[in-house]
Amino acid sequence: MKLNIEGLLVYFPYDYIYPEQYSYMLELKRTLDAKGHGVLEMPSGTGKTISLLSLIVAYQKAYPLEVTKLVYCSRTVPEIEKVVEELRKLMDYYAKQTGVKNDFLALALSSRKNLCIHPEVSSLRFGKEVDGKCHSLTASYIRAQHHSNPCQPVCQFFEEFDAVGRQVPIPPGIFNLDDLKDFGRRKGWCPYFLARYAILHANIVVYSYHYLLDPKIADLVSKELAKKSVVVFDEAHNIDNVCIDSMSVNITRRTLDRCQTNVETLQNTISRIKETDAAKLREEYMRLVEGLKEANVARETDIYLSNPVLPDEILQEAVPGSIRTAEHFVGFIKRFLEYLKARLRIHHVVQESAPQFLKDIYEKVCIDRKPLRFCAERLRSLLRTLEIADIADFSAITLISHFATLVSTYSKGNLYDYDFHQKTPTIANPVLHFSCMDPSIAIKPVFGRFQSVIITSGTLSPLDIYPRILDFRPVTMASFTMTLARTCLCPLIVGRGNDQVAMTSKFETREDFAVIRNYGNLLLEMSAIVPDGIVAFFTSYIYMENIVASWYEQGILENIQRNKLIFIETQDAAETSMALEKYQEACENGRGAILLSVARGKVSEGIDFVHHFGRAVIMFGVPYVYTQSRILKARLEYLRDQFQIRENDFLTFDAMRHAAQCVGRAIRGKTDYGLMIFADKRYARADKRGKLPRWIQEHLTDGSLNLTIDETVQLSKHFLRQMAQPFRREDQLGLSLLTLEQLQSEDMLQKIAQIAQQA
Amino acid sequence: SESDPNLISSESYLVLLVVKRVRQRKQDGTLYLMAERIAWGPEGKDRFTVSHLYADIRCQKISPDGKAKIQLQLVLHTGESTTFHFANESTALKDRDATKELLQQLLPKFKKKANKELEEKNRMLQEDPVLFQLYKDLVVSQVISAEEFWANRLSLSSVEHSISNNNKQEVGISAAFLADIRPQTDGCNGLRYNLTTDIIESIFRTYPTVKQKYSENVPHNMTEKEFWTRFFQSHYFHRDRISTGLQDIFSECAKQDEKGLKSMVTQGVKNPMVDLLSLEDKTLDEGYGTATVPTTSNSSNKSLRENSNSAIIKRFNHHSAMVLAAGLLCVIFRDAPSDQASETSSTDGNSRDSDFFQPPLKKVKLQEAIEYDDLQGDSGRKTISLNLKKSDRYSHGPTPLQSQHYTTSQDIITSISIIQHEMRSYKPRLTQVMSSSAASSAIIALSPGGVLMQGGAQQTINQLVPTDVQSELKHLYMAAGELLRHFWSCFPVSTPFLEEKVVKMKSNLEKFQVTKLRPFQEKIQRQYLSTNLTGHLEEMLQAAYNKFQAWQTRRMMRKT
Repeated sequence: MKLNIEGLLVYFPYDYIYPEQYSYMLELKRTLDAKGHGVLEMPSGTGKTISLLSLIVAYQKAYPLEVTKLVYCSRTVPEIEKVVEELRKLMDYYAKQTGVKNDFLALALSSRKNLCIHPEVSSLRFGKEVDGKCHSLTASYIRAQHHSNPCQPVCQFFEEFDAVGRQVPIPPGIFNLDDLKDFGRRKGWCPYFLARYAILHANIVVYSYHYLLDPKIADLVSKELAKKSVVVFDEAHNIDNVCIDSMSVNITRRTLDRCQTNVETLQNTISRIKETDAAKLREEYMRLVEGLKEANVARETDIYLSNPVLPDEILQEAVPGSIRTAEHFVGFIKRFLEYLKARLRIHHVVQESAPQFLKDIYEKVCIDRKPLRFCAERLRSLLRTLEIADIADFSAITLISHFATLVSTYSKGNLYDYDFHQKTPTIANPVLHFSCMDPSIAIKPVFGRFQSVIITSGTLSPLDIYPRILDFRPVTMASFTMTLARTCLCPLIVGRGNDQVAMTSKFETREDFAVIRNYGNLLLEMSAIVPDGIVAFFTSYIYMENIVASWYEQGILENIQRNKLIFIETQDAAETSMALEKYQEACENGRGAILLSVARGKVSEGIDFVHHFGRAVIMFGVPYVYTQSRILKARLEYLRDQFQIRENDFLTFDAMRHAAQCVGRAIRGKTDYGLMIFADKRYARADKRGKLPRWIQEHLTDGSLNLTIDETVQLSKHFLRQMAQPFRREDQLGLSLLTLEQLQSEDMLQKIAQIAQQA
Repeated sequence: SESDPNLISSESYLVLLVVKRVRQRKQDGTLYLMAERIAWGPEGKDRFTVSHLYADIRCQKISPDGKAKIQLQLVLHTGESTTFHFANESTALKDRDATKELLQQLLPKFKKKANKELEEKNRMLQEDPVLFQLYKDLVVSQVISAEEFWANRLSLSSVEHSISNNNKQEVGISAAFLADIRPQTDGCNGLRYNLTTDIIESIFRTYPTVKQKYSENVPHNMTEKEFWTRFFQSHYFHRDRISTGLQDIFSECAKQDEKGLKSMVTQGVKNPMVDLLSLEDKTLDEGYGTATVPTTSNSSNKSLRENSNSAIIKRFNHHSAMVLAAGLLCVIFRDAPSDQASETSSTDGNSRDSDFFQPPLKKVKLQEAIEYDDLQGDSGRKTISLNLKKSDRYSHGPTPLQSQHYTTSQDIITSISIIQHEMRSYKPRLTQVMSSSAASSAIIALSPGGVLMQGGAQQTINQLVPTDVQSELKHLYMAAGELLRHFWSCFPVSTPFLEEKVVKMKSNLEKFQVTKLRPFQEKIQRQYLSTNLTGHLEEMLQAAYNKFQAWQTRRMMRKT
């Protein structure tokens, strides 16, 4: 249908529309008009992605000079591919309606592992291996060697792309990962570099967060994206953690040992080159004197050696004299390494800020801040000069140099903390954690550079916390509910067992026999009444292991097996994938199954349980993060000092967003239905409940706040029976599903205005 | 075991086991276990005073070990029971156990059969309303007994048929079958495990390695009992206990399971949407991130408890996967032949012409994931496409198998074009038309009531008789037909059994005529409908009576 969104003609590739989609587009348009940032929460399964795409593409077509590019960031590879498929649907609809051939170029970008078509390289299993092998075939000096010595193997696909592909722009169209590979195979060009090159002139780019948020990658890939782009972060409820992860470093003794080996290799290589090709080193020295700008040549393929700091921090000055020659630099690194080794020898926990660390290092080994800042850049130059083929071997020294650069760059404002701690009391295994406290550091350049950044997800409640922790000022903040013709979600809070013992994963009582038994009974009872699939989430992996073991001893699991098959997430991703597939198989063939899983785990973040794959989700306990961790404590302190966010508020917010993520996995649309069972009495408190997304909160009645297991079973039975009745389009039409005429009625437009709740 | 020649008359009387000196109601006698029933006869007589079909037996009970009297009790479905006392002092226990063992093997077979028969009857009645009506008319109103009703019906259709035809659905395996053998303490430092044939089958189907061990070791190396005792003692059964290193015969099974699990894991998953390994696009390099560093080579510093916990988890995953696989296996076996058939037939049929393109799994899953079926218009609704092996046959309907008369669509098209062509050049030759009288007589003959439209008169019964009478008549016809079928099937009357039956059927027919047909006739008369509605029915009955009369007089003559 063709919609009129405040004067903008939007093509929407469906015959019907949900009211909240219209409302969402309205808010989105206002955000784009204001050229500002937005935070939008809309439940999953209400067609968020297609609404986003429809509106932004329409905006791009209407005002090609205002918005030149859409950068759509999602979290997982399947999500990325889904977005591109939805986009394809939209573009097909455009072509059909207007009769004009599509002139948009849209493409997905992913790591080499997902795009490589080189027969040898692509057969490798792990991303890192693929990257390393690719590098050893495409690095600039390898190619230079190939010039003089044709026996040196290079990647034919890259050579072909470099020779021909750059001149011929990729034709308009929608290119998913597989399409890119097909295209690459047809032309004989490398799809990965083709895609990286093509994102500069593509109208729409879909890739993962890291390409914008991790400075090491963003610097290489996303550096030249135009300012007039709209950036969308979908599934953004965890964006702060992604930001922090990309700027944090952990160093163990093993890292240092490997770094030691790296240093020795470097030393040997330097002395060898000195004898054979001293001119090369001199040349490098000269280059460094002139400044780093020159070092930019042929950086495209040298991905490992990127700078960990952000673009606006990239140094304008020349490398300080003390580390300019290769030997001096290696000596410098050695000194730094010895210092770190000495620090890791201690036997108690230390926690200090970056300036303290810098002060200490200056006093003990006379290392200044300035050369430390250049470490990463200097190492990059050296490795290229020495023509090191297998960069993957040098990950340890790279890590150390990144640490050096980070600790000296972001010392102001006490952004970094680090500590030493021992894993086990018997074996000293100290780790140096250098952790970023402030997620806004990584995302700041994104907000600064692009005119509109949209942060959206199914669970962003409470909305106001994201602008605070990410430090930006949005022009719109809105939460949309799901309009429903039938209440297809049923959140219940189970607070006690039939024996009236309180059910909670609170630290003091979580190992209580009664609590564990009651949790078991809840699952057992539910397994008897819920059809097909049940997913249960625990607060942590260790807790799940313990509970499973005691359920096994008490024979609860065996009784559950009478009703359904049991599959359990393990810490091994491959094993869990298999369990997941079997779980789906068992749901599919009618046996029914239970999946025991962990909040914050891979399953809770990336896998949807649509329809019969998840008729009930049980959240055992409140998934608080492990609060005894020093890193977390430091972060909480930082949040309190910098943003005036109370520790408890943040912890609860964090726990509730993960709980919402878990239970939200079951509802993936309006024709879907599912029970959401919160098995912890603490959920009933206003401060917890209030942090759930609005679309879940709305359906939490006072009568379902502190139920026993029996009451839960009764309510669930009732709900499931109602939901099992046939649900037709006519039931939805006019309420939660609209035709164009219905949408245009005055009445409906007024109703729609109430869907969005401004924060 | 000896077999008594006097007792054998047919296959079903084949004696499987004879036990002498078995007392029943304080009377000495001999117990016979035959193919379909168990029987007991008192000493010195060649008649059975006790005889039960296996199908009638619900279960057997034995007296506990150590009791003075060694007994075996059979409980019937009706609730009655019969007790046998094994009285041969030297071999009593052995006799009793032999009987028990044999019964144990025999009873389940018959139990299934009995249930299956009932189910089958039930199903037939539910699926076939006509049969159900017949059943009501004849059995419920007690014209004939249920046994008579089913006597030749079941064999006609399908109990054996369906069983032999592999059409029955395999029963899956309960995931909790191991729970059913929960040990119970017997009060004196021992454990008792309950094993049934069902559980053993489940174990074998789920864990093929155990089955292999079983066939390797039983009975050459150990008895069955010993095998299962060892099984329950093994680490394999108690997977939460860490292997103690003791070599038992099942340690190899555990290893093979481990291997199987590993290969399952390395095979990876087919559905890319659940592949957690490729979920993440760009993982952080080692050493980055806030997550705690995974302790390297951590198995050593994991506690024993943690290890056993993860062993339990592994075991549950493996167990569920195996149960699921065992369930799927029989489905595959069942489907396999039909699949093959469809494939071979498609080579000569033209279904390939449709050029059906199977999109790769990933594409399908992606499309599924982005689909909103309620937003889509009706055009998006999925329909099942007709898969035609021979589209010609579909458009022409079944044609006689004479290849030269078989017209393909091409033939039809050409013939149509020929006819069109002829019609275009058709010129009426007005001098050679039929005479007007011949034409009008032909028209009369073809009009309703005409010579060629005689059949049309029959249709009037539709209009003459009200529908309720019609349906009643229909039922009467059916019931009469059924009874007559029974009656006529007795001829030629060659055995005493048939003689008995034919007499009975004759009286049934008479009963039918009195209780069903007469009231109907009276009813018609009251409604002033033509009475010859039932004429044909009466004729049929009369024919049967005549036949019976003839047969009876002939028999009387032979006897005198």
